[in-house]
Amino acid sequence: MTPQRARTLALGVLLAGFAVLPLLLGDYWIYTLTIGFYYAILAASWALLVGYVGRISFAQAAMAGLGGYASALGVQHLGLPPVLGLGLAVLVSGALGLAIGWLTLRLHGAYLGLTTIAFAEILRITATAEYGLTEGSRGLQVAPLLTGGSRTEYYYLLLGVTAGCLVLMGLLLRSRLGLFFQSIREDEDGAASLGVNVTLWKMVAFAISSAFAGLAGGLYGHFVQLITPSMMSLQEMGIVLAMAVIGGFHNVLFAALGGVALQVLLEALRELGEWRLVAFGLVTLLVLRLMPNGIFGAAVATIAARMRRNGGDE
Amino acid sequence: MTTPQLEISGLIKRFGGLTALNSVDLSIGQGELVGLIGPNGSGKTTLLNIVSGYYPADGGTIRHSGTSVLGKAPHQLARQGIGRSFQITKLFKRLTVLENMLVAGLSDGTTSRAAATERAMGLLADLRLERLAHERAASLSGGQGKLLEFARVMMLEPEIILLDEPFGGVHPELKRFMHERIAAWNAAGVTIILISHDMGSIFELCARVVTLSYGDIICDGTPDETRNDPAVLDAYLGEQHG
Ligand SMILES: Nc1ncnc2c1ncn2[C@@H]1O[C@H](COP(=O)(O)OP(=O)(O)OP(=O)(O)O)[C@@H](O)[C@H]1O
Ligand SMILES: [Mg+2]
Repeated sequence: MTPQRARTLALGVLLAGFAVLPLLLGDYWIYTLTIGFYYAILAASWALLVGYVGRISFAQAAMAGLGGYASALGVQHLGLPPVLGLGLAVLVSGALGLAIGWLTLRLHGAYLGLTTIAFAEILRITATAEYGLTEGSRGLQVAPLLTGGSRTEYYYLLLGVTAGCLVLMGLLLRSRLGLFFQSIREDEDGAASLGVNVTLWKMVAFAISSAFAGLAGGLYGHFVQLITPSMMSLQEMGIVLAMAVIGGFHNVLFAALGGVALQVLLEALRELGEWRLVAFGLVTLLVLRLMPNGIFGAAVATIAARMRRNGGDE
Repeated sequence: MTTPQLEISGLIKRFGGLTALNSVDLSIGQGELVGLIGPNGSGKTTLLNIVSGYYPADGGTIRHSGTSVLGKAPHQLARQGIGRSFQITKLFKRLTVLENMLVAGLSDGTTSRAAATERAMGLLADLRLERLAHERAASLSGGQGKLLEFARVMMLEPEIILLDEPFGGVHPELKRFMHERIAAWNAAGVTIILISHDMGSIFELCARVVTLSYGDIICDGTPDETRNDPAVLDAYLGEQHG
């Protein structure tokens, strides 16, 4: 079997697996997995920026929250149908992403990271303080995406959107844009010397990544129907980071799977309370040290090596 | 007279109190292969960085085929035909050799991947790198890395290439091969400015040699004239014999 076909097969099995899961699971786990899809898009969007372009950001959860509020308020105050609310979420988060990308063009490493933390906190605190609009930390009621939708219907909807987002990211990263992104990650001066508009693509990357986060946040809001500023918190950001790193942030699919897997673990280990986060922190450190391509990256590499060996024996 | 390919006049660059380029005038015609030499810190790389858009100038003008270069970004100049390499190679280590080439080949936004790949494979074959096309650039030796940087620059189909110390750390056999390629590209019409401390290479390849010292051009002549110029000898005395 060629690697190409093995990959297509694996993706098919994966998607089929997620498609049959609701038949086997109760409402609680269906709900948990649906939340997992929110995290999957969010972790993948972070991986797109950090893993491919090499630009660190701690504002991803804040961008999701922004999308959540944009869509909710668009429906509530502008009378938009929720689908157009999601469109608004994509636009608002994408536009702010573009602005942050522009403002941080010359920043690298710790300075870039700290600046994005500042942006994230500004967004979270604004959402908390703008009580008249957002109802602050009491939380904002959000219109449902599907009127009277069942858990299973939401599950399939979010599964479909997640798969769609991943396909879109995959196509984007396979296009010349993906090469430009990676050349910027590897060496900005080198990329510029070969005609890559580093300034433009760094901003575009921030915008695209934020737009996906905004979409994820919008969907989340219309699904759980209550959002609070805590979805923009740095603790949430930490969880998204752990998901992407543990799954493998050099690949958007691995990061997405990390999102689903950790969300399931978070629920399964509920009794451990805050200790779960401590454990995730430790695992994140270990994975960073031992498996730079994440757990799924390491697993796929092992399987591929075994296939090559077996292929060689024949 | 035709317009020079590259015309630098009154170029000034200061870093704080240090004057790295002190009103440099230099005119280079289409198809020339010019050696640029000078002791450490004389301003060679600085000149190259300004011509390729990496540093702003503090005074003077630079024209490429008659249009001004100053104020343009590096990627614009690269697409406009000014290619460069780096004193310390700037390869995309986690990308394959071919992907390194494709970044340059696709950066114009219009060339198709098929066309860029074909051109890349041709250039890699020229440089005996085609067998490594699908290896990561990180796995290349230092010399192969220098070759890949050459190849990447040529992907831009440049009118001028500025090579900064291309022979650093390259073993003699590979160096001979690089000489050949540089001479062949030049014969094909590419204007080349070659910075090197390797006098053997410079004197062998370049009909014209420009010498910088403390930001001034102190000599502009043939290899023979350069070798026998008292100012050049003087500039190098402190470094090589002192
Ligand atoms: N970015 C910079 N900031 C401050 N000073 C600089 C910078 N770049 C170069 N210089 C200074 O400008 C002078 C010229 O440096 P440049 O790198 O152009 O020399 P060079 O001729 O390329 O030397 P070498 O042969 O060692 O490569 C040196 O004194 C150097 O220290
Ligand atoms: Mg130098």
